[in-house]
Amino acid sequence: MPLLQHLCQALYDSHIGTLIRESDYAFPIIESVHVLAVTLLIGTIALLDLRMLGLVLRHISITRIARAVFPLTWSGFVVMSISGFLLFWAEAAKNYSNPAFRIKLILLVLVGLNPLIFHTTIYRRVHEWEVLAISPWRARASAIASLTLWTGILAAGRAIAYF
Amino acid sequence: MSLRLWFIALAHSALGQYMQNSKWGFAVVETFHLVALATLGGCVLFVDLRLLGLILKGESAPVISRDLSRLLLTSLVVMIVSGFALVSEEALKCFYSPAFRWKMALLAAAVLFYFTLHRRALLQTGKGTPTLWARTAAVVSLILWLGVGIAGRAIGLI
Repeated sequence: MPLLQHLCQALYDSHIGTLIRESDYAFPIIESVHVLAVTLLIGTIALLDLRMLGLVLRHISITRIARAVFPLTWSGFVVMSISGFLLFWAEAAKNYSNPAFRIKLILLVLVGLNPLIFHTTIYRRVHEWEVLAISPWRARASAIASLTLWTGILAAGRAIAYF
Repeated sequence: MSLRLWFIALAHSALGQYMQNSKWGFAVVETFHLVALATLGGCVLFVDLRLLGLILKGESAPVISRDLSRLLLTSLVVMIVSGFALVSEEALKCFYSPAFRWKMALLAAAVLFYFTLHRRALLQTGKGTPTLWARTAAVVSLILWLGVGIAGRAIGLI
């Protein structure tokens, strides 16, 4: 068995993993937090993406919206990471071979790379374009990538239960 | 005709039959429900945080709400339509589920509140700092919508 699969099996068999998985309350509650915190992580960043596309709140500058959104998005990221990791811990051995889970992870990596590129390039000069109703094409590309990847992540997450 | 009979009729409808028999149909519909949940929640959060005076201070609260209203209401419609399809998959279970009844009650309350007292609080706030009353309205809104979400999760579990 490959090392990674060993690790997943070890997590799955562990005391905590088993506890979460077999508890009447733990898994459903953690999963509910994970689903509802989607609002905090994806819902907020989607607003910034839609602003860059010129679809909402055009009268407010990009930086003002970013300043409002980022603390919320980061809070959502923390909640989603912790709840997500706990869910993974409980189901690790099954997730290892689950195609939907693998796709979700790949998409998560991509959705993390996207803002990395965005912030080190076009966003560096945001003060040149922050008041524009529609942002420059590079920002729009990043926004579209973000919206698409997050939608894919939601779909892949939903599909995990089907494999 | 009793309400229970409407739910039975829904289960037997073409939509109900399709949802019950299609493995992926349900997943796709639920994905729409999730995406709309994200956008609806984002809008609600944004508007209510402004109404609480925590973000975008100095920006007009009613203008922000009006600007986001198209996205918010579109998301709500998508959630209701997809939700209707999801109910058709297990109509009677929903009918008898206390969590489902709570969800529908809270949803009705949230929507009603949104179009009445919440709107008034936004108009009253304008570009300024919110009053205690306005902040209360924001908290009520957040609790109602969060309640809809939690009750929705409880449907599958209770």
